[in-house]
Amino acid sequence: MLRLRIGFVLIAIVLSFFGARLVQLQGVDPRSYAVRAAAEGAVRVPLVAERGDILDRNGVPLADSVKGKMVIADPDLTADRAPELARLLSDRLSVDYFKTLTALRGRKEGSRYEYVARRVPSTLAGDTLTELDEAGFTGISLQDDPIRSYPSGDVAANLLGYMGTDEPLGGFERTFDKQLAGVDGEATWQSNSGKGVRIPLRESTLKAAQNGAPLRTTIDRDLQWFTQKVLAQSVRQYRAESGAAVVMDTRTGEILALADVPTFDANAPTEADEDDLGSRAMSDTYEPGSVEKVLTAASLIDAGKAFPRQRFKVPPSLARQDRVIGDWFDHGTIRLTLAGIIAKSSNIGTVLAADAFSPVELVSYLQRFGLGQRTDVGVRGETPGILTPGEAMSSQTKDRVAFGQSLSVNVAQMAAAVNTVANGGVRVSPSLIAGSAVTDDGVTVGTDVATRTRVVSKQAARATARMMEKVVDPEDGVAPAAQVPGYLVAGKTGTAQRVASDGTGYDGSTSVSFGGFAPADDARFTVYVVVHAPKVDGGGGSIAGPVFSRIMGYVLGRYGVEPTDGKPSRLPVEW
Amino acid sequence: MSSPALQPRTRVTRIAQEAVDKARLTVVPRVRTRAPRVPFVTLVSLVLVGGIVGLLLFNTSMQQASFTASALETEADTLAAREQTLRMELDELRNPQRVATEAQAMGMVIPSAPVFLDLETGRTTGERTPATRENAIQLQPPAPIKPAILAPEPTYVEVPAAPTVEEQAATDPGVANAKPRKSRNR
Repeated sequence: MLRLRIGFVLIAIVLSFFGARLVQLQGVDPRSYAVRAAAEGAVRVPLVAERGDILDRNGVPLADSVKGKMVIADPDLTADRAPELARLLSDRLSVDYFKTLTALRGRKEGSRYEYVARRVPSTLAGDTLTELDEAGFTGISLQDDPIRSYPSGDVAANLLGYMGTDEPLGGFERTFDKQLAGVDGEATWQSNSGKGVRIPLRESTLKAAQNGAPLRTTIDRDLQWFTQKVLAQSVRQYRAESGAAVVMDTRTGEILALADVPTFDANAPTEADEDDLGSRAMSDTYEPGSVEKVLTAASLIDAGKAFPRQRFKVPPSLARQDRVIGDWFDHGTIRLTLAGIIAKSSNIGTVLAADAFSPVELVSYLQRFGLGQRTDVGVRGETPGILTPGEAMSSQTKDRVAFGQSLSVNVAQMAAAVNTVANGGVRVSPSLIAGSAVTDDGVTVGTDVATRTRVVSKQAARATARMMEKVVDPEDGVAPAAQVPGYLVAGKTGTAQRVASDGTGYDGSTSVSFGGFAPADDARFTVYVVVHAPKVDGGGGSIAGPVFSRIMGYVLGRYGVEPTDGKPSRLPVEW
Repeated sequence: MSSPALQPRTRVTRIAQEAVDKARLTVVPRVRTRAPRVPFVTLVSLVLVGGIVGLLLFNTSMQQASFTASALETEADTLAAREQTLRMELDELRNPQRVATEAQAMGMVIPSAPVFLDLETGRTTGERTPATRENAIQLQPPAPIKPAILAPEPTYVEVPAAPTVEEQAATDPGVANAKPRKSRNR
């Protein structure tokens, strides 16, 4: 009897231990145990979403994503044979031997996860891993790490931006990151082998990655390349600080090329000067100079306050309250028509013509041409430029604004303004994105939201274009070099003084520019070129003119625009 | 002895007797047909064994399929990666910079203005302008001029020529110096 009791007591003691353990397992923290049980043999693979491509107008990728791998070392397993392994890896993957060695030995004590290389093309990474396996090395693994590649290097790099290690650092890449990035997914399953082969009929989940949507731009890659090359050549030749050029489709306002010089290789942004990484064309303001006279003239004609054959007596200099206004060329009193004032680019003549306008009238026209407001094409850090409101503008300032000083613009604004004249007086808002896309500021941009507003009448625009034809006239004009053989070209030069970077007034350097369109009587393209601070003497006609001519000649040929049979303008320049 | 009154009674009795005789139940002999057990057991075991073996085979084939799927997935990944790499190479080959470099090396030049040929009439429109070497655009920036410290002037060491017998006789130093100077100009 006693034995039986002792037996029962013993059994009860053992069972109570079991019971206590059961309560501990199920009662205290059952979840963590369940998780641990599930983690045993669980394979969790992140499915990396592919970043959307950035395409040109023809669907050619300007930026595309390629499957890549990151090579990861487990120093616990690699430390012993680190030197051998490092040599092999640095050979195959072109990585630094010493950095690899440190990674293989672990940068920190007890580390089990070290990057050896990032963004290695999948094929190369796979081949290397196979080779390592065959040579009997362990402890190296691969994980998805997509590569962003810019197949055309520096083409449109200033617009596209570039990627950092994991995040976009500039340009479209950053502005439209939400659209491009996509959403990563994840797959989990149970595995009992080291190679991650799944056990059938066991729990497995799949959350597919959502790839990023492509972004289509209005850029034409080949034209963009050509524009950059021609501009860069000119900037070098005239030892200029920088330059920008825009090619715009007159009718749709689509920007076919927007070049910045200096630029950088989007595949290697760290090698470039940090100041070159953005788009100066959009973020820097400058005074447009005489190209702006086109806008003044078109406004005057539209308002019925001037006409192309109107006669002006232009004195050698013009004293206006605080300052004396002069022309770029010495002359006595000359007799110019309005067309002559534009063709010879006379400041005095323009001021005399603009006397018919009050500051408010002039500014309201310029605002409708789009000056003083962002174009919102989707480029980061765009400047709105500076245009003093009409009510606050003194008459001296108005005089200077009339010929393009004392106001500042960005390149797209100016191109769109000149394009208004090309497009029969209707301003089409410029766009860089085909369709529409939402920027990180929540603004919808693109051709879908482009607006058209009439700024000046069709007659006024035609009359202005006729006057602009005289600018490239070999006899009467100042920019025969901007002529495109066989075509009627209308354009306007600009040579503006530059404001010193510290804002203390003009520093003696100039911004030379040329804006125009062709064919003048049925415009298809507007090209605007500006070269900042050339160190070689020259004006808009001699420096920017030839660049304009090359780009315009190329784009007309590229889009198969035949010469029109319109007669050249026969407006008189003198009387 | 048979009275008319009794007659029917005996008749009734007889009928009853018969009925009684007929109604008497007898125990049916128990027929024990023993169903053979073997087929049933065999069937059940067959179903059981078949089920287990089937399940085993099914599992094995699933596992096999899983391995195959894994291998195929890897292969698909590899092929996709190869395709992308090839596409990237293609894009790099299509890079306008590369195409232009090759074209210019062949002597091609981008014209400054286009000329159109109408295939029906055979007429051209546009102004024909010669495309010359000057029209070629600079594809690469010229190599930067290195500072003097990186590109020092070449140093020339004047080695007196081994005097010939005649020169030795004449002992004219001018001749000996003239030769290395000449080589400098090369």
